[in-house]
Amino acid sequence: MNFRRMYKTFTVGASLTVLLAFVQGNHSSSDPRINMPYKKMGLTQEQAAAHLLGRFTFGATPGQIKEVVDMGLEKWLQQQLDSKLSDDEVTRRLPDSSYDALGMSNEAIVNTYLNAGQVIRIAAKNNLINKDSVKNLDKPEYRAQLKAIMDAQGFKPQQDLQRQLVNQKIIRSAYGQNQLQEVLTDFWFNHFNVSLSKGQCQQFVMPYERDAIRKNVLGNFETLLLATAKHPAMLEYLDNASSVSNDNDIARKQEAGAIARLEKQKLDALAKDSTGASAQQIQKTMDARKSQGLNENYAREVMELHTMGVDGGYTQTDVTTVAKALTGWGIMPLYKDAPGMKLIEAAGPALLAKKGYVVDGDFLFRADKHNENAKLILGQLFPVNGGYNEGVQVLQMLANHPSTAKFICTKLAARFVCDTPSAELVGKMTDTYLKTKGNIRAVLITMVNQRQFWDEKALREKIKSPFEFAISAIRATNADVQQPFQIYNWVTRMGQRFYYYQAPTGFPDRASYWINTGSLLNRMNFGLAFATEKIPGVKINLAALNDNHEPESAEAALVIYSKILLPERNLDENIRRLTALVKDSNIGQKLKTAANKLTPASVTNPDNMNMQPVSSSDEMMAAQDAPLTRRQRKANEKAALSRKNLPVTTLYVAGNTSTLAQVTGIIIGSPEFQRK
Amino acid sequence: MVDRRAFMKSGAMALFAAGLGGVPSFIARAADSRKILAPYKKNKVLVCIFQRGAMDGLMAVSPYTDPQLKILRPTLYMSPAESEGKLIDLDGRFGLHPSLQAFSPFFTEGRMAIVHGVGSPNNTRSHFDAQDYMESGTPFSKSTSSGWLNRAVGLLGHDAATTPFRAVSITSALPRSMYGDNESLAINNLQEFAIQMRGNPLASNLASKSFEQLYDQTTSDILNKTGKESFDAMKMLDVNNLKKYQPAPGVVYPNTAIGGSLKQIATLIKMDVGMEVAFAESGGWDTHFNQGSANGALARNLKDFSDSIAVFWKDLEAYQDDVTIMTMTEFGRTAHQNGTGGTDHGRASCLFVLGNDVKGGKVYNNIKTLNKEDLEDGRDLPVSTDFRSVFSAVANGHLHINDNKQLFPQWDGNSLSLMKTV
Repeated sequence: MNFRRMYKTFTVGASLTVLLAFVQGNHSSSDPRINMPYKKMGLTQEQAAAHLLGRFTFGATPGQIKEVVDMGLEKWLQQQLDSKLSDDEVTRRLPDSSYDALGMSNEAIVNTYLNAGQVIRIAAKNNLINKDSVKNLDKPEYRAQLKAIMDAQGFKPQQDLQRQLVNQKIIRSAYGQNQLQEVLTDFWFNHFNVSLSKGQCQQFVMPYERDAIRKNVLGNFETLLLATAKHPAMLEYLDNASSVSNDNDIARKQEAGAIARLEKQKLDALAKDSTGASAQQIQKTMDARKSQGLNENYAREVMELHTMGVDGGYTQTDVTTVAKALTGWGIMPLYKDAPGMKLIEAAGPALLAKKGYVVDGDFLFRADKHNENAKLILGQLFPVNGGYNEGVQVLQMLANHPSTAKFICTKLAARFVCDTPSAELVGKMTDTYLKTKGNIRAVLITMVNQRQFWDEKALREKIKSPFEFAISAIRATNADVQQPFQIYNWVTRMGQRFYYYQAPTGFPDRASYWINTGSLLNRMNFGLAFATEKIPGVKINLAALNDNHEPESAEAALVIYSKILLPERNLDENIRRLTALVKDSNIGQKLKTAANKLTPASVTNPDNMNMQPVSSSDEMMAAQDAPLTRRQRKANEKAALSRKNLPVTTLYVAGNTSTLAQVTGIIIGSPEFQRK
Repeated sequence: MVDRRAFMKSGAMALFAAGLGGVPSFIARAADSRKILAPYKKNKVLVCIFQRGAMDGLMAVSPYTDPQLKILRPTLYMSPAESEGKLIDLDGRFGLHPSLQAFSPFFTEGRMAIVHGVGSPNNTRSHFDAQDYMESGTPFSKSTSSGWLNRAVGLLGHDAATTPFRAVSITSALPRSMYGDNESLAINNLQEFAIQMRGNPLASNLASKSFEQLYDQTTSDILNKTGKESFDAMKMLDVNNLKKYQPAPGVVYPNTAIGGSLKQIATLIKMDVGMEVAFAESGGWDTHFNQGSANGALARNLKDFSDSIAVFWKDLEAYQDDVTIMTMTEFGRTAHQNGTGGTDHGRASCLFVLGNDVKGGKVYNNIKTLNKEDLEDGRDLPVSTDFRSVFSAVANGHLHINDNKQLFPQWDGNSLSLMKTV
């Protein structure tokens, strides 16, 4: 769109300033020196590397502890803070052919990925479809018709956009080199949560993570806050895009004009129709128009959840006033042929700038909908006619408020150190935050420079979230995940349907939220299903992890693979208990006898215990992973049972389930593997 | 109907017989105390449904005769009139939203009480805080570590260490209401309650045994405690029996989140596993935007909510004397509509109590008018009934808990008289 290009020049000044700030914020010379006191806290380099990897990555890969030690812990951390490592593996796994949306603009997305309702509306408008047939959505021929229209128009289903979003997170987290960036993307997305469960914002969630979050996770908090505040996803999710003021001159003129037109229409309608039905309708429109106004949802959450925290020291009046300061913050018309775009194009940049409008990418400040009165917020006066900059100044003030520094540092420490971090640690981090005006890198360096980070009380204290748990299993086994959405279904089952958390709080980041009876059993089941390759599209070469030496017995497998999957941990008690179990030759014999007696029917019986798809979008994905036919399964089982020379303890009963895979599954489902 | 003894035989005992599973600790305890001979027949069950997001009480149960309502809510206002949404008139002052039609017979039969103007004395309008306070039951103290339902379980007054299902939440995570020392269970889907390896039941048993050993020895308290509870519950709730389970003839639950949750609660009640407190959640009440009136987003949600409860009640026919259902929501919404056809965070809302112990057929309330001087901060329906006076009344009357000091520390108000037995 030409106009959009024109605007790029118009806003180039503003963008440059942001860019400059970003570059400066990332410049390592302004960072505190990395000086991690792990030796003082009695840790070896290997133990320290294991701890660092546990917290700053989604889990160590085989051999990674040695790599980090060889490179030097400080240098490794510096590399992660710089996040400039090339990510060929991620690129390879996210080819354009099946991940075309990942590079799309908001505008391209809303005009490509449509829901059925939008397709029908467009099709009906262009007379491509008979409106009356809309009611028969379930009929296959109707669906076919819909699909034909979508193909012809180049539309794609929104489920596919969501699939790309979900899959790219799994791929980046499992295979990316810039792990800290991805861990922080997870952290800050959750902090500035938006949700696919809200229809108005769901198309923007992918670009939100890409443009507002990931780019800024190691920069300045203020930049991050502003990027989220101005992104269509947040503007829709917390309703700020629809919060407007009628208290200014242009708005009043527009309002008066509109009401006058409606009054006239009402009179005309009354003249034509004595029952007054349509006049009543017009009156309703008029009432609605009059009551159009302030929505304080974003203003409240930006203070309570994004910056100061609920006890940060603001009042209900502050909330309302911040909402007024942010009136007029909206989104550029993005739909093709949107009427608003014509108006903006007709006005032209010069006139709009003169009237106080601001266009920055897809963000549009509508001066006509801004409350222009003077405002008092947290004791600071904002004079009349503050326009767009007023809102920016309010957010800057919030970003650099001492309550914000403390709130953000407490949350970072809870994520990276322990669920209830000490006041001393948070205090040190808060000092750095205030000194560096919210430099996230500097705050993280301050954190690892404190003894509390390396304290025995912090080691293995954090429990992995379901997502962290699943990704750490992929990393620990070098697994090849061909169908990432299957991992998503499991993570959902374990209690973390990511990108769908409805409340603006994001997921609570503490063990007591993640660990409960139901979710714990699912973690164990995930370990087993994952290691035995029962999750479609998961391939694991377990032998390769041990230089292709196959352990001689179940006990040997237990000892060797415990060390491979859980390096630098004391596992003596684990191994002792399990060894007693696998050594019980009586059980082994029983299992073998039972295995031989098993009929194919009884083997396949528990199929109805399969995972249920969690939503219609998942159903689409699940359909790709059609279960083996009964015949195929029978053949597999027969082949398995006919293998010769199985050791006594082998649990080889059916399918491709080896002792080694089962032992690995038990290790992954074990309590030690849940800790990071 | 599967009774407790039968499914113990086929579930836990089968494991025991195979020599692969131990005797679950709760069964051992039960056998010791001979409790096993006295099944949980006499237990009362309290089912709580939390409507997260703050339900608009003024639209669910509308004081339609107040002339202010129409002024404050020009496009949201409804009345019993055909042209104004067809509210179901309850008492000449309040009207039930037409989407809550399923509640209407309960109200007429006197089984359902509505409490209006209910909420917390703490005037926070933050979802998170208000839920936190309502669930802990201490509206001015964040440091209370337990939830009120967990305390209720501790105050039931009879020994029930024999079942891990005494307090169950059909959620993936334990709700704040159930935090605390008394064993509580969160299950999202009962069907998932087993260690499963497809096509390999014996290996599943060995894996299960291995996990039990590992979780028994871990140094992480939370993993250790939760692990133990998980294995106990798993043995009791044999998923094979669960699969055979059917709702009562003619009962079809809505295929929605709350419908599914209530179906699972009904299953647990009918399986007689000793459940006394159940919890479920319902979402989508945060209607800032285009909430609609007789139709629309809120109307759809109200219909799902009430239909699910009505179906649940029908499914429980033989158990109705033992079950009370209470709904709750963290606060209400602004008396006036906002600029986007919705309502913002307010103060008081309404709640529903259904059961044969309930003195129903009445809208309990102390609501004055919606005139500006009667509104809180000039904008919100004020809280004229403390939520604790309702929660305690239900706990007293249905669960026979009489220690309100322990149930709601820091509160010395009076319970509302809405239950028959007190």
